[in-house]
Amino acid sequence: MESFGECKVEKLLLQAIFDRSWEAMVIVDQQNRFVAVNPSACKLFESSPEELISKSILDFFPYSLDTTEEQNIVTIEIPQINGTIQTIEYTKVEGILPTYTLLIFRDVTHLKRSAAAELHLQHQRIQLFSEVTLKIRQSLQLKEILQTAVTEVQRILKADRVLIYQVLPNGTGIPISEAVLPNYSPILGMEFPEEVFPPEYRELYAQGRVQAISNVHSPDANLAECLIEFMDEWMVKAKLVVPILQNIQPKTGKNQVCVRLWGLLIAHQCQTTREWTEFELELMQQLADQMGIALSQGELLENLEELVAERTANLQQEINERLEVEAALRRSEEQLRLIANGLPVLIAYVDKHQRYRFNNEAYQTWLGLSPTEIYGCHLQGVHEQQEYKKIQEHIEAALSGKQVTYENDIPFQDGCIHSVNVTYIPHINQQEKDEVKGFFALSSDISDRIAIERMKDEFISVVSHELRTPLTSIHSSLKILATGKLGNLSSKGQRMLNIADEQTERLVRLVNNVLDLQSIQSGKITMNKKACKATELMIEATQAMQMMAQEHGVKLFAESVSLVVWADRDYIIQTLTNLLSNAIKFSPSNSCVWLLAKMEETKKKNISYNPQGKTNSYVTFAVKDKGQGIPENQLENIFERFQQVDSSDSRKKGGTGLGLTICRQIIKEHGGDIWVESRKGDGSTFYFTLPALINVPE
Amino acid sequence: MNNRCILLIDDEETIQEVVQLGIEIEAGWNVAIASSGLEGITVAQNHQPDAILLDVMMPEMDGISTLSQLKANTKTQSIPVILLTAKTKAADKNKFQHLGVVGVITKPFNSMTLASRIAKILEWDW
Repeated sequence: MESFGECKVEKLLLQAIFDRSWEAMVIVDQQNRFVAVNPSACKLFESSPEELISKSILDFFPYSLDTTEEQNIVTIEIPQINGTIQTIEYTKVEGILPTYTLLIFRDVTHLKRSAAAELHLQHQRIQLFSEVTLKIRQSLQLKEILQTAVTEVQRILKADRVLIYQVLPNGTGIPISEAVLPNYSPILGMEFPEEVFPPEYRELYAQGRVQAISNVHSPDANLAECLIEFMDEWMVKAKLVVPILQNIQPKTGKNQVCVRLWGLLIAHQCQTTREWTEFELELMQQLADQMGIALSQGELLENLEELVAERTANLQQEINERLEVEAALRRSEEQLRLIANGLPVLIAYVDKHQRYRFNNEAYQTWLGLSPTEIYGCHLQGVHEQQEYKKIQEHIEAALSGKQVTYENDIPFQDGCIHSVNVTYIPHINQQEKDEVKGFFALSSDISDRIAIERMKDEFISVVSHELRTPLTSIHSSLKILATGKLGNLSSKGQRMLNIADEQTERLVRLVNNVLDLQSIQSGKITMNKKACKATELMIEATQAMQMMAQEHGVKLFAESVSLVVWADRDYIIQTLTNLLSNAIKFSPSNSCVWLLAKMEETKKKNISYNPQGKTNSYVTFAVKDKGQGIPENQLENIFERFQQVDSSDSRKKGGTGLGLTICRQIIKEHGGDIWVESRKGDGSTFYFTLPALINVPE
Repeated sequence: MNNRCILLIDDEETIQEVVQLGIEIEAGWNVAIASSGLEGITVAQNHQPDAILLDVMMPEMDGISTLSQLKANTKTQSIPVILLTAKTKAADKNKFQHLGVVGVITKPFNSMTLASRIAKILEWDW
């Protein structure tokens, strides 16, 4: 029962397989005649079982039915009338029954076709990607990339329109690239209204939603009314939308990458509705991904290019500025060099180690010292030992920060000794605590000046001598005449004689003053300075002027002080008598002239101190009158030669116009100052200062 | 006081004249004149004046040479010499004093006060 049952079930199962199989199964005898056929075999051979049974299979399938052990499935390609090819696979099963053979056929035409199509599409896709990628690599220009993408997608998908829609920050958007068939209107550059692309759509796309709509009017599409209207306007029947997402690296974030909806890649079908295949969707998505990468690269590049351009511009500007500065410096240096070399002066810069760091060409032409040869040399190596010793103290003074001026006689290349005036100007680095870095040495040839001065001195000396002798004769003759011992003159004659006498005396004073001034100014006289009691100087000067004061009805008062000054007695008395004489001359009768002195602390730097007293103090002398005073605008220049308040003064008062100039020169020789304070109509006070001595034994 | 005799050695005739007249009027002294150094030395030797007024700037033999000869000559070396000079410099005055002069009178001077200045220098009664 069991075995029977098993046999029966097996038979039923085999029968079912035989009847229902998708594959065509036939059993043939040794003469290849059909013994049994299943429905799939009938379908394959396009005949009924009755038409097939007992017929030879070769009538319906005229191919060899041999198989080998290696290849038990044989493929046969059968050309069809319509030009296509039918592909049949068959397997031959022998040995199941002694005289029969089972043949199994399978029509694989469809399978072969779809595989080929798939291969072709894959090939196209690879080609597209490689083209897009190549273009991206070649250009890196966003516009070009996008245009390539839409053109290629349109070509592959055979869509009526492919466009790239860029999402703008305000929610609207704009198609920026488009490939469209000529039958349809381009929508490039057309701004989409916000309502067709509401925020919730943007949100979905940002999350990566892809929309494949086969029919925009279909309720399945679930499109908003306004969007459908918009689609109609552009005759769109089906559309495929994939987002273009861009990875952006926020400036503030560290490594966090955000995804931004940059835009959409959209394919439109306008002719008909369209079912979008999986492949098409995938293609669009992969392209959109590539574009996203390209965008990031493009933006990076743009940023980079911007940065490079900006930096390049900055650099160019910096370079230009630097070039200008350098050119200006070169010009300035050239000018300075020309000036330094053109000046008839020795110009040098000496560093703090007493080495020459610059010499102008005058060193070559005057002294025969080549600036290049002496560059970096120590002064001691350039100048003879004796010469160096002479200037050493000045060099040390300059390097201690003091400006020094002195005169020197040096042998020139021409074999003559020339007098030079030398000034050392210390080069002080203000930023480094007044550190002295070196000094500039300027030496001008004053030989001509010295020669002229000598000539002038000789001239004045000769002239004055030649003047003095006839003056003595005239002066004395007039004095003798005035005695009346040689006969009396009429009153007019006497008057004329007096005029001649007065003017001769004036001429004598003038000649004396000119000579005094000349000798003091020439520096040829040395002040014979000693400690002098101020009171003694004042009393002596007052006594000398007493006679004149009495003649003018003026009283002289000298203050008694216990001060000692460092001065040349004779010259200071000359100064005091000069000032007193002026005061007396310009005082009204019955008035007083005061001579005062007091000790004061040093305020002015230009007072030079004697080496013995080591004092920081000075004595101010004052000669005060109650005369007519001096107008303010003349307070300064009355110390100049021949400057008198009233040009008639010299005639009326018998002055020479040189007295105050001589006083100033004498005080200058003492390292003091002289000045006047006065108000017109309120008298004048003349002051001068002399270095004070303290702790001097009586 | 009236019997004083002064010798003036100066090449300038006008000076000779005003000095002679001035001293005579002022003091009534005799003034002998010599127009050159050489002549002056001779006159000094022969007449033995009370004092000599000697001009420094003279042609041929100048005042300084004349002075040194006067001082070198035993007959004249004790006669006081006062120099007449146009030079005013202190250094020059010092130099002259070292040469043995008793005083220096600077030109221009007033011949009417010359006698009193001489008397003051030589500490004569006046």
